[in-house]
Amino acid sequence: MARLRAFTMPKWGIEMTEGTIAEWQVKEGEDFAKGDTICSIETAKITNEVDAEYGAKVRRVIAEAGAELPVGALLAVFDDGADASEDEVEAFIANFKPAGGGDAKPAPKESAPEPETEPQASAPKERVKIDTNRPISPEALKLAEEEGVDIAGIEGSGRGGRITYQDVHQAIRGPNTAKPKGTTVLPEEDAIFASPLARRIAALHDIDLSSLSGTGPRGRISKKDVLAKMPDEDGAGTAGAPFRLVANEADIVPFDKIRKVVAKRLTTAKQDIPHFYLRISVNADPMLDMRKAANLVLGCKASVNDFIVMAAARALARHPDVNVQLHGDEVHRFAHADVSVAVASPKGLVTPIVRQANRMRIDQIANATKGLIEKAKEGTLGYEDMDGGTFTVSNLGMFGIENFDAIINPPQGAILAVGGSNRVPVETADGGIAFENRISFTLSVDHRAIDGATGAQFLQTFKMMLEDPEQLFG
Amino acid sequence: MAKMVYRDAVRKTIFQEMERDENVVVLGEDIVGGMGTAGGPEAIGGIWSTSTGFYDAFGPDRVIDTPISESAIVGAAGGLALTGKRPIAELMFADFIGVSLDQIWNQIAKFRYMFGGKSKCPAIIRMVYGAGFNAAAQHSQSVHQILTGMPGLKVVMPSTPGDVVGLLREAIREDDPVIFLEHKALYGLSGEVSDDPDFTIPFAHARLARAGEDVTIVATGMMVGLAEKTADTLAEDGIGCDVIDLRTTSPLDEEAVLDSVEATGRLVVVDEAPPRCSLATDIVALASNKAFASLKAPPQMVTAPHTPVPFARELESAYLPDPGKIEAAVRKALDYR
Repeated sequence: MARLRAFTMPKWGIEMTEGTIAEWQVKEGEDFAKGDTICSIETAKITNEVDAEYGAKVRRVIAEAGAELPVGALLAVFDDGADASEDEVEAFIANFKPAGGGDAKPAPKESAPEPETEPQASAPKERVKIDTNRPISPEALKLAEEEGVDIAGIEGSGRGGRITYQDVHQAIRGPNTAKPKGTTVLPEEDAIFASPLARRIAALHDIDLSSLSGTGPRGRISKKDVLAKMPDEDGAGTAGAPFRLVANEADIVPFDKIRKVVAKRLTTAKQDIPHFYLRISVNADPMLDMRKAANLVLGCKASVNDFIVMAAARALARHPDVNVQLHGDEVHRFAHADVSVAVASPKGLVTPIVRQANRMRIDQIANATKGLIEKAKEGTLGYEDMDGGTFTVSNLGMFGIENFDAIINPPQGAILAVGGSNRVPVETADGGIAFENRISFTLSVDHRAIDGATGAQFLQTFKMMLEDPEQLFG
Repeated sequence: MAKMVYRDAVRKTIFQEMERDENVVVLGEDIVGGMGTAGGPEAIGGIWSTSTGFYDAFGPDRVIDTPISESAIVGAAGGLALTGKRPIAELMFADFIGVSLDQIWNQIAKFRYMFGGKSKCPAIIRMVYGAGFNAAAQHSQSVHQILTGMPGLKVVMPSTPGDVVGLLREAIREDDPVIFLEHKALYGLSGEVSDDPDFTIPFAHARLARAGEDVTIVATGMMVGLAEKTADTLAEDGIGCDVIDLRTTSPLDEEAVLDSVEATGRLVVVDEAPPRCSLATDIVALASNKAFASLKAPPQMVTAPHTPVPFARELESAYLPDPGKIEAAVRKALDYR
């Protein structure tokens, strides 16, 4: 029996409204097999070959090559029974009504040549007429006809064996092929009242139900009660147990005043200040030796950081072009180094100032710093402790940080980021290998106020101070 | 643990409770002996023999033969309950609740509510229900869907002798009216029962009769055994079924059903009653309503057809759910995608 099928302009993607036949690969009267290329169609974006979804004969080519036609327009008539009369073909063409959009019959090739191919419209099956006396719902019949489903094999689930839409849908999709998971061990029901699932979860995780008190009616233990006692409350899970999400609610901490100021200043700094970074690595051994000796001699407990602050302060005094603040179009240069020391306090990052550190002895710096840190931890730092620094030292070395880039603390012109001391192999003068403790420093510089060479010279002096710490006591 | 048949579990539990609490009284047709007998060796203790020996032990004040009038039996039970007794009324066949519906539905179910909690009505109406005995359309029905739909009643459907003991004792000690439904076909069922004289099973506490990961089968009373049998057959094919014995249809252990459906994603409800407005539709609605996202297949219902219970044996067996029908429903749920 003749089965005439319309071949229409496919719709590839929601933006496609029309297409152009580039070339026909089949001629009128020719047979083609499933998978043969029928034609190529150009759209505004791609040219795609259209392969046949079924084998048939070409009865009529309606649209010539080069013709630009809207989506859904009739391009050709195929006959997969190959015995329709010319009159039937004419009648088919006369009766053809283009469906609104997406009436592509054969689907385009899966591998489109252009990467920008839109998602392709799925090709509906050829509509077949189902002649049946079996009870079937109108929607089910429509679906079966559209999809060409043989309803003879479908058992109707409706009243009196009526075939429903769901029955046809299920027939199209076929049976579920997933393997059943099987039975599980049934926990004994005892005198403790627990819901079946609670009992099962408890058995699975070896939780003693008698150790729980249920929140359900008459103290019944529910799933929730067992889950609350699960050992993997943090979601990490015991071996074999399924991963379970736990509530992850934010602990909302509003900004306090200090953090507000810090946030605002650092945001401004990072956005407005043209930072550049200079890195240098210093042999810390002489300074570490000196620290031991100085602490003994001076009877203080100066930290490595105190020595760094001292070296920075002395270097700043020698390089006042780095010891600056930037106010609008003015650079304020200072003779003495008021070094801000970044301290992590309970309320956030604070930067109290060791004033005129370049004039202090190491024990004085140590005492001043100690006092400031104590005040920071107690939250008793005053405005006068924080206002007006000319340079900042920020040290994360004690956390094992190798090096980092700090954000400039405005209106200052530079900040020194201090990394941890690492024992590294170095080449000795005679070509051998020795080990020394090295500290990496990164100077973040405001390029508006300080040039690269200026910053580099400062670092050179700084390095020299630390590597020859006698100079700090000169 | 002692072995006991379902019928004896009913009798012994009531007997023990009557010994324990003198307010417990029993009443019903022929529960003494019928035919005008006044107890003694010829007393049959009701046609189901669930009160044999009661009359001799407790006397005429506590074991009361009634006329063949369900409305009188239930009405008297309601009155006894309101005046401080704990009556246990026996209806020979649940099918005859129709004539006592006013007493059940409009009276005992509502006393506590309408009197603002100032009265309580600790009445138990025991009813024998169910098909499979070729007892025809007026002696074979499952009436739980009617009673479950009545607020104020607690509806209990035990499936094992052990559950009879725990649930009946709970019912007798309960201050609200309880409909206690015993299936004819279960009376000869043997099983273990607790020896603890205070063992009770709270209402709305379902039992997991089988544990599996693929399908949840929900059943009550007589249907539980069929579901268990089906689960055992399917287990041979590697298909695991959770079989949930609801025990009480009101209050309902929603948690047990929903938890299981969430785990398996597939639900089959087995119910001996016809499907319209039934327990089966109620459970399916529950799952659709509260576990929709977990469902991997349309919930299936294995119920009797919407027709009176047939008298002819062949038709009656075709009418009732059986393991074959349950297995087909399980497989249908599993095949769905």
